[in-house]
Amino acid sequence: MRVERTRNVISHVVLMFGVVVSIFPFYWMVVMASNTTPDIFSYPPRLVIGSHLFENMGKVLDNIDFFGSMLITIIVSLAVTVLVLFFDSLAAFAFAKYEFPGRNWLFGLLLATFMIPAQLSLVPQFVTLAEFGWIGSLKALIIPGAANAFGIFWMRQYARGAIPDELISAAKVDGAGFFRQYLTVGLPVLRPGLAFLGIFTFINVWNDYLWPLIVMTDPNKLPLQVALQQLNGIYGTDYSVVMAGALMSVIPLIGVFIIGGRHFIADIAAGAMKF
Amino acid sequence: MAVTTLPETASAAQDQVPQKPPNKYRLALPQYAAISPFFILFAVFGAFPVLFSIWISFHSWDGIGSMKWVGLEQYSYLLGDPQFWQSIGNTLIIWVLSTVPMLLLALVIANALHNATRFRSFYRIAYFIPNVTSVVAVTMVFGSIFSNNFGLLNAFLQSIGLTKIEWLTQPWGIKIAIATIVTWRWVGYNAIIFLAGLQAISNDVYEAAKVDGASSRQTFWRITVPLLRPVILFTAVTSTIGGLQIFTESQVLVGDTGGPGGSGLTIVSYLYQSAFLDNQFGYGAAIGWALFILIVLFSIINWRLIGGGDERISRRAARRNGKETADAR
Amino acid sequence: MALSRRKFLALGAGAGAAAATGLSGCGSVSSLGASNELSMWTWVGSVNDDLIGHAEKAIPGHENMHLAMTRIGTNYKTKVMTALAGKSLVPDIVAINDDVATYFPNQDQFHDLNELGAKDHEADFLPWKWKLGITPENKMMAYPMDTGPTALFYRTDVFQKAGIDIDPAAVAELAPTWDAYIELGKKLKAAVPGSAITDNITGIYSYALAQQSKRYMTQDGQYIGDQDHIRTAFDLAIRVVKEGLSANAQSGTTDANAVVTNGKLVAYNAAVWWAQLGPKNAAPKTKGLWRVTTAPGGAGNRGGSFLAITKYCKNPEAAFAFISWLEAANNQAQAFLDPVLFPSTPASYTDSKMTAPDPFFGGQKIVDVFAASAKGYPGAYFSPYDSIINTPIAAELVNVEVAGKSPDQAWADAQRQVHRELTRVGAI
Repeated sequence: MRVERTRNVISHVVLMFGVVVSIFPFYWMVVMASNTTPDIFSYPPRLVIGSHLFENMGKVLDNIDFFGSMLITIIVSLAVTVLVLFFDSLAAFAFAKYEFPGRNWLFGLLLATFMIPAQLSLVPQFVTLAEFGWIGSLKALIIPGAANAFGIFWMRQYARGAIPDELISAAKVDGAGFFRQYLTVGLPVLRPGLAFLGIFTFINVWNDYLWPLIVMTDPNKLPLQVALQQLNGIYGTDYSVVMAGALMSVIPLIGVFIIGGRHFIADIAAGAMKF
Repeated sequence: MAVTTLPETASAAQDQVPQKPPNKYRLALPQYAAISPFFILFAVFGAFPVLFSIWISFHSWDGIGSMKWVGLEQYSYLLGDPQFWQSIGNTLIIWVLSTVPMLLLALVIANALHNATRFRSFYRIAYFIPNVTSVVAVTMVFGSIFSNNFGLLNAFLQSIGLTKIEWLTQPWGIKIAIATIVTWRWVGYNAIIFLAGLQAISNDVYEAAKVDGASSRQTFWRITVPLLRPVILFTAVTSTIGGLQIFTESQVLVGDTGGPGGSGLTIVSYLYQSAFLDNQFGYGAAIGWALFILIVLFSIINWRLIGGGDERISRRAARRNGKETADAR
Repeated sequence: MALSRRKFLALGAGAGAAAATGLSGCGSVSSLGASNELSMWTWVGSVNDDLIGHAEKAIPGHENMHLAMTRIGTNYKTKVMTALAGKSLVPDIVAINDDVATYFPNQDQFHDLNELGAKDHEADFLPWKWKLGITPENKMMAYPMDTGPTALFYRTDVFQKAGIDIDPAAVAELAPTWDAYIELGKKLKAAVPGSAITDNITGIYSYALAQQSKRYMTQDGQYIGDQDHIRTAFDLAIRVVKEGLSANAQSGTTDANAVVTNGKLVAYNAAVWWAQLGPKNAAPKTKGLWRVTTAPGGAGNRGGSFLAITKYCKNPEAAFAFISWLEAANNQAQAFLDPVLFPSTPASYTDSKMTAPDPFFGGQKIVDVFAASAKGYPGAYFSPYDSIINTPIAAELVNVEVAGKSPDQAWADAQRQVHRELTRVGAI
């Protein structure tokens, strides 16, 4: 028993230490954002939260169109999430619960698309979008990512386990066609899976950097991450302002995550186990 | 179990006029429609770009004017380009520096989480937050911590009497800084995956091991780790693929060209620089293909090293069994 | 079954139509900015803010339009090229730096200014500057903005310590050639140890090259960068270093400014814009101690920018009206005051804004020296590949200075790398 207790205590000590390491950068971000740069540069550096947060946030707003950029990111993240949820769940539903000619072959093809790294398409996709006239517009950020293989794969696993065949048969007997079955049977049952995929997609689109950096060529219409790096480029070592900007950009997501995070984490683990 | 879409052929009366069986493709139209958005998008934004990029890589092109055919010139330049090889070296070093500690720490944390009985949710959320934060913001924070003159780390070193280290201008300093950011971001994520793996191992195995008199170290290395192999493989492969594709941490920390001496230049950084800063689309395409080959290569290596161990285990077990029976005789 | 199929077909048709409109890109604008705006991109410090402010209210001659200026902080050329490659939201007017020739392969992206009436203004400009904006296909792609005439900057206090007459005319006579200049440098170093006549090796190379009438390629695409005129400049730079007259402060490092501040750099053959970047910015305390005179080796030019109108421009006539107004002689004279852009219109040189004595240079009328250099510069052909060729050569020079590499090895390696680069882009 005592061995168990000690092991428990040691575990907690280790874990708490890890929590401190995980959380410390955020604390440090707040410290820097709320002090003035000379304070941060002094030796020894100030380690406590200061009182200049609003002043620094004001400087951020003066230098980049912060809320404009945040709006762009919100729009893009929401649009992609909605599209992904719709297209992926629809495809997953079809793959999971229906037999049709070529199904396995097509699903295999879908899995094969995992092999292609995104960087391979950076240059040609830029050229393609230039031909469409989409460079610099939000379409370039939304459309190419509107359906992805990972989402379909994951939702299919989920759908297979979660949707009972009887429900579908019952709907068919009631005269429902495929789409009606999807709406009345599939969607409601898939809702928790949709929640996970939705949060996962939203976070990834929100944090995306390289592709927006390349295609958003209008310096006045930048998504949040790119605008943040611009701030870093302009302000460089004026850490208090740069960190204020970073803090402002990070808070919305952390808020979302703290609220909805528990299920999200469980599902990530579950998904990994299925491999 | 799947539901078929072919209509149940009710027992047709013998004297009914034989009908043509409904075309199975036509009947599956709704399913095809359901999966078509993905495949259409993939065709336009996935498959076509890949083929197009091969074509581009045989040309010299600034993306604006006409493409100039140069055959394999981009690739031959690539093979002799010291910056390219440097970027590969940097990427691999950063990958090792980040993946090894990250997996070990993740195992440790997962183990601790497994043993800890309370606050589980709190821990999981706390460990996961680094992964959901924007890489740009995180890199900026770490940039200030590692800063040569004003960084927290150097202040700490000074306070205990050591000299400052020029993290952001020394080749190894830069790599360690980038590796630290990557490790910090992914330990929690991988710990949680390992935890799920640990939780999937039934207690019976541990009971049996205890009965056999196995020490906790033996249990860990001989039982737990082999049983975790699939999970370890999963995290190793995803870490490898992710590690080879690092860009943001490098570009935000030390700039487009990888800092002094290009020590922080990763493969994707070099691709970005060549294609979108030097406007050499053909060269960028060629670098993309080199990256792809690397990813395939390393995935195979990972698979062989970690995944192909099952035969080794059973062979070793068979040998041991044979030895025991031989001893018993 | 039939009902749902019809519904699904309707859905599919609707989705297809939506996709088609999306794909056709209709609704997206190729030119940046609203229809009454002329969008312009330039880098920080390249134009006079007052003049721009005036144009932001209304374009002279086209009062219904106004300028929408965006000052790009970093990676200017990249952003322009990427915007052109992206074919969307392209600015109407772009500034171009002295690498204007690198845009020539893409001249079809810009308007031929001759078609907009540029020829009427030709007589107002320095001939060699005007020519630089004209492509080998005889299209006027870029309109002259400012120039970068070179001269010899020197610290009178250090010269006095070495017992040298500080009068500009006397100094010019003392060092008319690079050889004589090196001797002068040795004398300065003897009197004030640690003195340098260049910040680093490439400073000598670039400014020696800036005086030549030939550069790296001929008009018909022959590579001449391995010939004597380049080798001479190459060896000259190495010689200055070997004589210990370089401050070894490589470009892009903080050292580069430091050697001006701490007085190590006592004389420098440099372009007019160095006055602002160098002494005025890094060593304000030396006000009054500097003078300028004719550079050893004669007139030269390094730097200078241009303006071009992209083919996406909504109103090329208005854009040209703006450009020609901005670069009229009186306005160029104003730009000399802020931010120190040396005009490409000789008429400006007699404008009172320019002829005022400069207190930083002890009251010297520096316009005289630079105007003579600007007018005397022979002009040279810049090829689209000049930047690609220059980079390895400069890099090898740095290797000689910083890593002690053998000059012959450096030259051979530079030429080999140039060859690889040119092959890769299909130039040779």
